[in-house]
Amino acid sequence: MPDSAALACPVRLPSQRGRTERRLILVFSVIALALAAAGPLLLDTYSISILIRSFLYGAIAVTVDILWGFTGILSFGQAAFFGIGAYALGLSVTQYDFTAPIVTAALIGGPLVAAAAAGLVAWLGFGPKVTPLYISVITLVLSVIFVQMIYSGGDFTGSSSGLSNFDTFDISMEGWFRVAGVFLVAVTAAGWIFVRSDFGRLLVAIRENEQRCRYCGINTARVKTLLLIGSAIITALAGFAYAGYNDVIAPDLGNFQFGTQLVIWVALGGRGTLIGPAVAAVLIDFISAWLSGSLPFIWQLIIGLVFIVVIVLLPQGLGPAVANLFRRGRTRPVAARLAPLPDADAAGSGALPAIQVESVSRNYGSLHVLQDVTFTAGAGELVSLVGPNGAGKTTLIRCLSDGQERSSGRVAIEGNPIGRLAPEACVRFGLGRKFQTPNVFDALTVAESLRIARSRQERLSFVRTADEVRLPAAAMRVVQATGLSSQLGTTVKHLSHGAKQALELAMVLAMEPRVLLLDEPTAGLTKSERSLIGEVLVELVRAHGLCILLIEHDLEFVREISSRIIVLHQGSIVMDGTVEEVTNSELVHTIYAGEPHAVAA
Amino acid sequence: MAILLLDIITTASILFVVAAGLLIVFGVLKIINFAHGGFLTIGGYAALVTTQLHWNPWMALPVALLAGLVLGAFVERLVVRPLYARPLDAILATWGLSIVMVQMITIAFGRGTNFVESPVQGAIPIAGDTYSLYRLIMLGVAIILGAIMIGILQGTRLGLTARAVIMNENLSRSLGINSGLVRFATFSIGSGLAALAGALITPLLSVDPLMGVPWLLNAFMLVMVSGTSLISLGAACLVLGGAQVAISTYSSPVLGALSIMVLAAVLLRIRPAGFARA
Amino acid sequence: MKHLIPTALAAAIACFCATVPAHAADDTVKIGIPVGLSGANSVVAPSVVQAAKLAAQEINDKGGIMGRKIELVVADDGSGADGAVKAFNSLIFQDHVNTIITMETSAARNAGLPVVARGKTPFIYTSYYEGRSCSPYLYVDAWVPDQQVASIVDYFMKEKGAKTFFLAGSDYAFGRGMLEFTRKYIAAHGGKVVEEEYLPMDASDWTAVLSKLRADHPDALISSTAGGAPNVTLTKQLRAAGINVLFGNLGVDEGTAKAIGPDAAGVYISQSYLTSIDDAQNQAFKAGLQKMFGADMKTPNDLSEPEYDGIYLYKAAVEKAGSFNEAKVVSELGKVSFTGPRGTITMDKQHHAPLTMYLGQVQPDGSVKVIQTFKNIDPGQQCPKLKS
Repeated sequence: MPDSAALACPVRLPSQRGRTERRLILVFSVIALALAAAGPLLLDTYSISILIRSFLYGAIAVTVDILWGFTGILSFGQAAFFGIGAYALGLSVTQYDFTAPIVTAALIGGPLVAAAAAGLVAWLGFGPKVTPLYISVITLVLSVIFVQMIYSGGDFTGSSSGLSNFDTFDISMEGWFRVAGVFLVAVTAAGWIFVRSDFGRLLVAIRENEQRCRYCGINTARVKTLLLIGSAIITALAGFAYAGYNDVIAPDLGNFQFGTQLVIWVALGGRGTLIGPAVAAVLIDFISAWLSGSLPFIWQLIIGLVFIVVIVLLPQGLGPAVANLFRRGRTRPVAARLAPLPDADAAGSGALPAIQVESVSRNYGSLHVLQDVTFTAGAGELVSLVGPNGAGKTTLIRCLSDGQERSSGRVAIEGNPIGRLAPEACVRFGLGRKFQTPNVFDALTVAESLRIARSRQERLSFVRTADEVRLPAAAMRVVQATGLSSQLGTTVKHLSHGAKQALELAMVLAMEPRVLLLDEPTAGLTKSERSLIGEVLVELVRAHGLCILLIEHDLEFVREISSRIIVLHQGSIVMDGTVEEVTNSELVHTIYAGEPHAVAA
Repeated sequence: MAILLLDIITTASILFVVAAGLLIVFGVLKIINFAHGGFLTIGGYAALVTTQLHWNPWMALPVALLAGLVLGAFVERLVVRPLYARPLDAILATWGLSIVMVQMITIAFGRGTNFVESPVQGAIPIAGDTYSLYRLIMLGVAIILGAIMIGILQGTRLGLTARAVIMNENLSRSLGINSGLVRFATFSIGSGLAALAGALITPLLSVDPLMGVPWLLNAFMLVMVSGTSLISLGAACLVLGGAQVAISTYSSPVLGALSIMVLAAVLLRIRPAGFARA
Repeated sequence: MKHLIPTALAAAIACFCATVPAHAADDTVKIGIPVGLSGANSVVAPSVVQAAKLAAQEINDKGGIMGRKIELVVADDGSGADGAVKAFNSLIFQDHVNTIITMETSAARNAGLPVVARGKTPFIYTSYYEGRSCSPYLYVDAWVPDQQVASIVDYFMKEKGAKTFFLAGSDYAFGRGMLEFTRKYIAAHGGKVVEEEYLPMDASDWTAVLSKLRADHPDALISSTAGGAPNVTLTKQLRAAGINVLFGNLGVDEGTAKAIGPDAAGVYISQSYLTSIDDAQNQAFKAGLQKMFGADMKTPNDLSEPEYDGIYLYKAAVEKAGSFNEAKVVSELGKVSFTGPRGTITMDKQHHAPLTMYLGQVQPDGSVKVIQTFKNIDPGQQCPKLKS
């Protein structure tokens, strides 16, 4: 790989960009706050009353965008959370009195109930092997459940009538305008800083390739759960404010049509842009209110049509399309620097075997893919797993890295039994897995991808963007030798196939694994790339004491670097020995060629 | 007790008729058509138009079916086809479509609630009591419809190609099956069925622009639980519909309205395959 | 960052565009009518709007109110709380109406009251309802349960010998309020309520309720659903199920009964307005509607005729106050009278009006046969805390 000359545009450091962005956001926030303070003096009463609601909706739209636009969780449930917050205030004040303790209890209780509902929904929807559609389904159902529960509450909840005219805060309409404005600005600013931080890139990584995140040891279900709970709390607070201002609450506040409207606003404003959804929500809600008298149906019709067009033709939404009109010049690429980690000792004396597989079987109904596979591998071994297609090699790798995968048998990594643990837990035992086709994050840059891989060792900041990615020696070697070190700011989507393979290998090595599972690491690589990878693997085993289990079809490559070969055929191990033993074996040649081997030259 | 049983069977029949169209679209195209509620509404308004023109109320059925077929064909080409690879976006786009359909209906017919004439009136004596004749007819309609659909799927060439596409679209295409045509036909038929269902249920309830929404959610959950099998759908309608009737009768109708959705959601979590056999 | 500037700019422009204030023309008086054009009330809303238009035209033909022509501003409140807030806000703050005179569901009315209070706008509520809704700005020219329930229950118990009652209603203020009054009245007069069932206002499937009705075999069914669609679905499903029980409907008006068709035959209703009322004002009222709307005329009923009365009462209050000033008009509304199709109406009993009630039974042709007449029934203690 050619070493690149200095780029025409110098690369900016993330921390510099981060600081600039945060300063800009602060400036805009101050301006927005000033507008919120001055607004009531300039606007008429009707506009003020509408905008209070629009601002609150804008804040909710920001949370929906973080969930959907950034993390890929399509949730219709914000309506239910909004309703919970509103009814928390309405019910408490109606049943008891408008006193400080009651109101404070409602202020805490509403978001708490919403958070609990979000937690339940997350538990149901973010488990392993649950399709992404399910979370959308569950959040829809949550909204319906909320509305029906209000209906079934009879006099207590006011049922279809809702609750109205309860004692509420003695704040003027102008005051509420400022409260809602501040709320919107605060949520948007905080949201912006959050999504632009290092952790924010993790959200995109989860959306792009959740499986890869889990194999980097990240508990993605927990991240998504916390996001959903966070959005529930913010939305419930918005509901609380709305009830306080409006003095009327009805079951319609929580119905799923409101949930879908939020999604529509986010889609139109531009998912994944944060500011777009906030502006779209405020504008569309405001304009809808003004037009509700004159052309309500035509306006809704137009919104519906534009929404369809946007989804079908412009999935990015209108925001970026508008913004592109204003964009000037090229933006300077931004990438972190690499920094080497001091060499870690070759951990583990090899007292415990690196991989222990005992009687592992994998069945799909009556189809036996793996039958009673047993072997052990230790530190310092480079074991190649060979066999014809369909022998079960990739399945075996899956069974070693995901506790849910095998049908029976026991697997232990570094002496730790993996039981039924999820991949992110297995990885924590010191396991790294490289997939057959490059399994990377297309939307992130090389540096960001490496940082995600390092996230277990180096926590991602919720606010800042760090300047350095510290890599262990092995990963550094791969990155430098394959030329990735000069492409740190390049988006992974634009890398060549070979570069993506190298990146994935580097990411896996960045996790400092003791055991490495590689599925056809040289597939699609050139000869020189292949020998480079071979050198790296051998060095890892000899100098760093890793245990590597490698699936390969290139028998030359296998012969060059392996210390041991396991032959798999129709789900069972037929041979397990040194390179000589296996390559000279008749049995193996029969399996591959279908006939006994003529004496080799 | 007999009345309760009749309530359960007739409710299950109505649910089956409403959800059948959604199921075949889900099976062949692998997307959930959120415009299903809109097509249901169109069927309802077709029945209203038939009433206003003073035609025989039974004429509402073919009118609705035709309207659904034509509109469905139109929709498939323009909206659904580009979104094949993006199922979540397909849900959103079809929901947007539903909004457009509702607004157009409102512009044309006004937003008020209307009522249509029932093709049959009255009740017949059954098991010592009287029961609504129309509801019993719905039972017959569901059985006939189910039989026709299963017959087409199992017994005709169209059904065979449809089943092939349901099982493995890529393989079907490599074998020469025009999957695009199958998907087009399925979506049109599914939409036609939705409109037909809308015309069938309106004599029992009422016609307004938003009538499709509660049916959509229930049908959606039933389809998710049934996978791609019509028989599973029948089973799901009986079990979940039965639960709805029982809970409505013995507890409260409001909780009953929730039962299908909640039970389906729980069932899907425990057994993602739902009622379909493994 | 590249998205921030243009989007912030767009937002700012939009906000400043909104500063164009709306102002009411000085030569018209705007009457706001937030009504259920969609939702449960949509069956009756057209008749309400027609009654309002007739009143407005009659008054305008005679020179308007103190020289100003009436302009009606109709908004859709969706027959519910959420829609009502939007409708009231837009009428009071965007259109700057002088008064609100309308019929709506109790959910909508309750939701509109805080907005009315904020805008200090006189509000004449022209729909019968469950009573005890009180606000200095609210006046009611239609009946409350204290005026209506007794006639039906007494008739059932005394003339038909009914002892057990099944109550069914829409689950909101009106349904619950009416049936609570009914339950207490029945118990106080020696009857028994065997079941009380509610369905949400917009629900249309009464199957479960009807199954319970069948199982309980009560002597009579008394229903109190939202005006409009729920009456239709309940009655139709009741008849379709073949259930023939004594049926008193507290919430249905003549127009809806006609819309239900033959299924409504036999239902007992108690109303303050019927098309068969035989006086000069009613003949003129019906003739006026016929002339103005011809074939599109909707049957006038107890939800629409009070709207007509309400507009005339407003006119009287303005003329007595000598000004359109909201506070002055509000103080006069309880003191003026209007003689219309229902006789002389004065909202002087704690903002409510004594009314003559008619107990009748719906006939197969949709007309209502009057069985008993009760003159000038007092509304009772609706708002003891209000001064007038």
